[in-house]
Amino acid sequence: MQSFEHSFSAMGGPCKIHIECQQERTALAALSAAEAEVRRLESKYSRYLSNSITSSINSSAGIAPVAIDEETAGLLNYADTVWQESAGLFDLTSGVLRHAWDFRSGLIPEARLIESLLAKVGWQRLQWTQSSAFLTEPGMELDFGGCVKEYAADSAASILRSNTIEHALVNLAGDLASVGGQGSGQPWTIGVRHPQSRNQAAASLELVDQALASSGDYERFIEFEGKRYGHILNPLTGWPVQGLAAVSVTGPQCLVAGSAATLAMLKPENEALKWLHTLGLPWVAVNYRGQAFSADGPGGSQFESE
Amino acid sequence: MGPFKKDSNGTLLALTSSALLLPAYQAARAEAPPEYTELGLRYSNYEEDDTAGSKTFGGSSERMEVDAAQFHLLAPVADNWSVALDVAWEDMSGASPWFVGQSAEGDDKIVMSGASIEDTRTEVSVTTRYYYERGGAGFNYTRSDEDDYESDAISVDGSFDSSDGQTTYSAALSASADDIHPTQGFIPTNTVEDEKDIRSAWIGVSRIISKRAMLRFGLSYTYRDGFLTDPYKLLDQRPDRRNEWVLQGGYRQFLVGPNAALHVDYRYFDDDWGVDAHTVDFAWHQNIGERTALIPFLRYHTQDKADFFANSVDISERYYADDYRLSAYGAISLGLRLRHDIGNWRLNLAAERYKSDNGWGIYGGEEAPALVNFWRTSIGLDYRFR
Repeated sequence: MQSFEHSFSAMGGPCKIHIECQQERTALAALSAAEAEVRRLESKYSRYLSNSITSSINSSAGIAPVAIDEETAGLLNYADTVWQESAGLFDLTSGVLRHAWDFRSGLIPEARLIESLLAKVGWQRLQWTQSSAFLTEPGMELDFGGCVKEYAADSAASILRSNTIEHALVNLAGDLASVGGQGSGQPWTIGVRHPQSRNQAAASLELVDQALASSGDYERFIEFEGKRYGHILNPLTGWPVQGLAAVSVTGPQCLVAGSAATLAMLKPENEALKWLHTLGLPWVAVNYRGQAFSADGPGGSQFESE
Repeated sequence: MGPFKKDSNGTLLALTSSALLLPAYQAARAEAPPEYTELGLRYSNYEEDDTAGSKTFGGSSERMEVDAAQFHLLAPVADNWSVALDVAWEDMSGASPWFVGQSAEGDDKIVMSGASIEDTRTEVSVTTRYYYERGGAGFNYTRSDEDDYESDAISVDGSFDSSDGQTTYSAALSASADDIHPTQGFIPTNTVEDEKDIRSAWIGVSRIISKRAMLRFGLSYTYRDGFLTDPYKLLDQRPDRRNEWVLQGGYRQFLVGPNAALHVDYRYFDDDWGVDAHTVDFAWHQNIGERTALIPFLRYHTQDKADFFANSVDISERYYADDYRLSAYGAISLGLRLRHDIGNWRLNLAAERYKSDNGWGIYGGEEAPALVNFWRTSIGLDYRFR
């Protein structure tokens, strides 16, 4: 069994695919097919690329419906399910709110600016069918960023499987999907970084044919009146959510694990921990006080604190 | 839209079933070769209620009982093939209705064959299946051997998914050649040796219509040719051809709240002997945790009589039969199945109660005194390994 690793940059971050297999030729063909799949999805859905489907939907906002294919309709359908399940808190049209919040400066935007941007947010104002999509208000923006990277990790893993790969780990800037376990028979072990220390793992999660997705970033937040706000924005208020700092979830699909992590981030800390505990998937969560929680034990046991 | 759903596990199910419709997950959902070798053993018992004394000449009579043992093996072979072997042994004993006669009071009463039937049946079935990117194709050979009956059957089938993976088309063809040589015992038989051939064709389509619902339709045609008369019945003379058509539809709905699935199936049968029948099935697949499922089911069946059926047959006619299976009746089955996984093992338990009655049917016609009620129970254990 040989190891093959391929790194490239896509989806706004570093990507790495690790394969263990007998034949170099099989591994190299699989690696390039998987990378091509990630690049295909990036060029199809990136809002920064002018010929992506996202850009053409956004530039036609308030003007005309845009033809979409089945995969896009499938993603909108999925996003609709997450929107419904989150009572409107997960919204692919909420990206415009980023224009108000600059997490580097730490400044609180003017209420008037938030209000004017909120007028351009609203999943229910996206009209879509299996073959077309239409943002009904000019200035509205659709952003698949909330699900495409996770979907790409799953899709790349699926490509590896169809290339007869049995042991692989796809890592798209922190969203992971595994094919089988390691060649040695061990699971893939993923450390979740400790909030206080770059080199220390707060917890480790094991993957065999499973995916791992994370939401949140404890280095990007805004402090306001003594409270810390993360960079996840509530599309109903226009304000960042005051909840957990970061959540990682493992599951059979990176896409679903990613949505579960995001939904947990959209809730207040205590509610989020309760919600995660009944989820039925392994998870690790970290709050702004540097405490880490995991699925072990009743109510989410605290295994590391300041 | 309600508040943020509190049931995170329900949310997880909703997200998963929605995600699985995306193309990246389609490959995993198309018909795929088994990843495991599967071994199964099952024992089942079928026991008909005694016939009431008021319906027979000569007092109450026991009827048929069948004990069956089944062995199942399914194994992946190479990357895209699987092979399955199924063997079944059946031990049949008891008595069956010989003919219907009329009492002095003019009532239709059954004359039973006497508790004389003893037969064993062995069936061996070999299936091989090839899996391609968007479906699979199979070939099956089945040989069945009884003291008085031999049957060889072959079938081929194939399935094909649409490019979006939402629709599956399938078709099958089968043929069998059967030899009948009734054992000569207490009752005289109406033939010494005969044969029949059966040809059958089936087409079907199933479609995923929403995140949690699936719809399917099927149409089949069967042609029987040869000795179709029951050799052990005194007053039985049937046509030597039978054309049968079946139209069926099914609906599956997964319900997130109760973590259960509702299965509703309907089947319409029609043939050129004048029999037509409707069957409706309801099953509720209730998941209890991840390892257990409890499945109560209810089936209703109603059929019209064959043109040549009568309790008091006229043997000067070309065709006649007093077999209750060709009479008009309605039947209700109520059952419960339990499935429980323990590691690599799966336990299957099932019990079913079947009752039939002329008055429960939607078709009019004479009540056959031999209409049957039975219990069926089974216990099975499957084992999976890589």
